[in-house]
Amino acid sequence: MTKPLLEVQNLRKVFKKADGSQHVAVDDISFHLETGEIFSFLGPNGAGKSTTINMITTQLTPTSGTIKIAGRDIRTDPINARRKIGIVAQHNNLDRGLTAFENLVYHGRYFGMTTQAAEQRANELLADFGLSEWRQDYVKSFSGGMAQRLKIARAIMHRPQLLFLDEPTTGLDPAYREILWDHVLRLNRQQQTTVFLTTHYMEEPERFSDHVAIYQQGKIRALGTIPELRQLVPAASIVYATVDAVTAPLLQELNQQPFIKEILQKDEKNLAIFPNTNDQILQQVLPIFEKQPVKLENIRLSFASLDDIFVHVTEHPTEMEVKTHA
Amino acid sequence: MHNQTTLNVFWIMVKRDLLIQWRNWAEFIFRVVMLPFILILTYGYVLPKIGVLPASFPNDLFPGMVGMSLLITGIHGTAVPLSMDFNNSREIEDRLQAPVPVMVTAWAKMFVGMIESWIGALLVLPISLIFMGQSLRLHLTTGNIFLLFLILLLSSFASAALGLLVGTIVKPNQIAAMFPGFLMPVIFTGAIFFSWSALVKLPFYQVLVLVNPLVYINEALRHTMLGASNAMPLTYSLLGILAFTILMGVMGMRRFRKMAVR
Ligand SMILES: Nc1ncnc2c1ncn2[C@@H]1O[C@H](COP(=O)(O)OP(=O)(O)OP(=O)(O)O)[C@@H](O)[C@H]1O
Ligand SMILES: [Mg+2]
Repeated sequence: MTKPLLEVQNLRKVFKKADGSQHVAVDDISFHLETGEIFSFLGPNGAGKSTTINMITTQLTPTSGTIKIAGRDIRTDPINARRKIGIVAQHNNLDRGLTAFENLVYHGRYFGMTTQAAEQRANELLADFGLSEWRQDYVKSFSGGMAQRLKIARAIMHRPQLLFLDEPTTGLDPAYREILWDHVLRLNRQQQTTVFLTTHYMEEPERFSDHVAIYQQGKIRALGTIPELRQLVPAASIVYATVDAVTAPLLQELNQQPFIKEILQKDEKNLAIFPNTNDQILQQVLPIFEKQPVKLENIRLSFASLDDIFVHVTEHPTEMEVKTHA
Repeated sequence: MHNQTTLNVFWIMVKRDLLIQWRNWAEFIFRVVMLPFILILTYGYVLPKIGVLPASFPNDLFPGMVGMSLLITGIHGTAVPLSMDFNNSREIEDRLQAPVPVMVTAWAKMFVGMIESWIGALLVLPISLIFMGQSLRLHLTTGNIFLLFLILLLSSFASAALGLLVGTIVKPNQIAAMFPGFLMPVIFTGAIFFSWSALVKLPFYQVLVLVNPLVYINEALRHTMLGASNAMPLTYSLLGILAFTILMGVMGMRRFRKMAVR
């Protein structure tokens, strides 16, 4: 068996807050990434995702735990670690006093590319990300989405083996989201680039990831492939119903049914119903709606979406059995 | 091979800083020239001309102006961009992510600070020649010029080291307070307008000002440029500069490392 590209063992980070109290941002997490996989790290705001990335990318010292990249401890060999890493940070950290082109070329030069190679690749990436026209413009004049595109281009300039994307598509329009994924998947396929992704858009991990970790309050609540995670929710198939207005009697009636394990009210109109059985569920559910004075607008049966898995796992934190793909 | 890439990256980072400074050259010149200009105009021209200060005063002032301009420019050139980089724009993150020791970024910043401090010292020359050219009586021999070069080199290093320390401590919103709170005391206790030995009448003050690195720089410059017999002995002033450089350098490096890898 080959060595994993990234190994994280019992990683912890405790911050001192301004009032002197302590805040455990990352609480004893362990996981690993194989070369060439796409790993999604999902969690609500403040879960500790960026903190985890900062520690792995040598920007932040862990309180305890070990991180190894290609078998080498990043604490003893941070330079080797950084050589393999590319980062799209959550915030804009572009060089404001340089042009778009210079941002890319300097970055390439820091990573040992020759000027010629760096300029050539910079031009290619600027074209791909629709920035050729702004090649000689200073980054301080860029719109949010343009800056985001340039950050992505910069992170892949030196063809990293391990790419960290901290909410990379925030602020990007759908066309550039596709272009980003096009690039990332191409790097992933052609150069076995391993991707560590955090995002709040569930369709991205659903489409692209090999493994997903659901992370909350510094702890990994669940980790596995999406089919594996599906087994953590009460039912693999879920009934999604939309009514004009969810009423208390409707919920009560649904709750009394022996074939229904759990009901998740998503908003005032939408319900996710987790059944006990996979047999003829719709046929059993439909009459309940018909008996109630509500207008059923839509009903369908489908596999649990990552969204539902995420909501379920984060709302039932203690019951969850944490899976690790060891 | 490995050291070769590290050195390359150092020069690329230096180039980046110089490029950005070059793009703001007018602002740079203005910032560097204004302080010595107004001081030289007042203390080197107006006050001696109207008799408030003796006619020999400009000659004593000149080394102090060189030392001051060098130190202030170097501190400013290193500290301000560093403080902004770390706290506001976080631009520095890209350089800290380069596959070289994080200290290379600090060395590059200091190197650029040193270059700026030299420019700061050089710009004093034309201003001095214009306003107090007739009063200058410099004693420069070949040996002295070599010594002078050494002092300027060491002093510029001291100023960049101090800039590194200041830049990693001061937050951008505190930069405005730096002028009255830090630079002004450094200037006015820095043996610019008086020779350190003249403070013998104020023994307490004479000891107090020894915490100011500018005292040693100016005394060393005064000694070398004017052959001044009343300046602090050269060994002391050189040791003072050296000690400050090492102290500030070590503390600055430590702070930088803390900021770079939080
Ligand atoms: N330097 C710091 N000092 C103190 N607390 C910090 C520091 N950095 C992060 N935290 C705290 O650690 C927790 C995790 O922050 P982090 O930025 O890692 O969250 P996140 O999962 O990336 O959230 P988001 O989805 O909003 O980006 C938060 O509660 C945050 O306030
Ligand atoms: Mg974050």
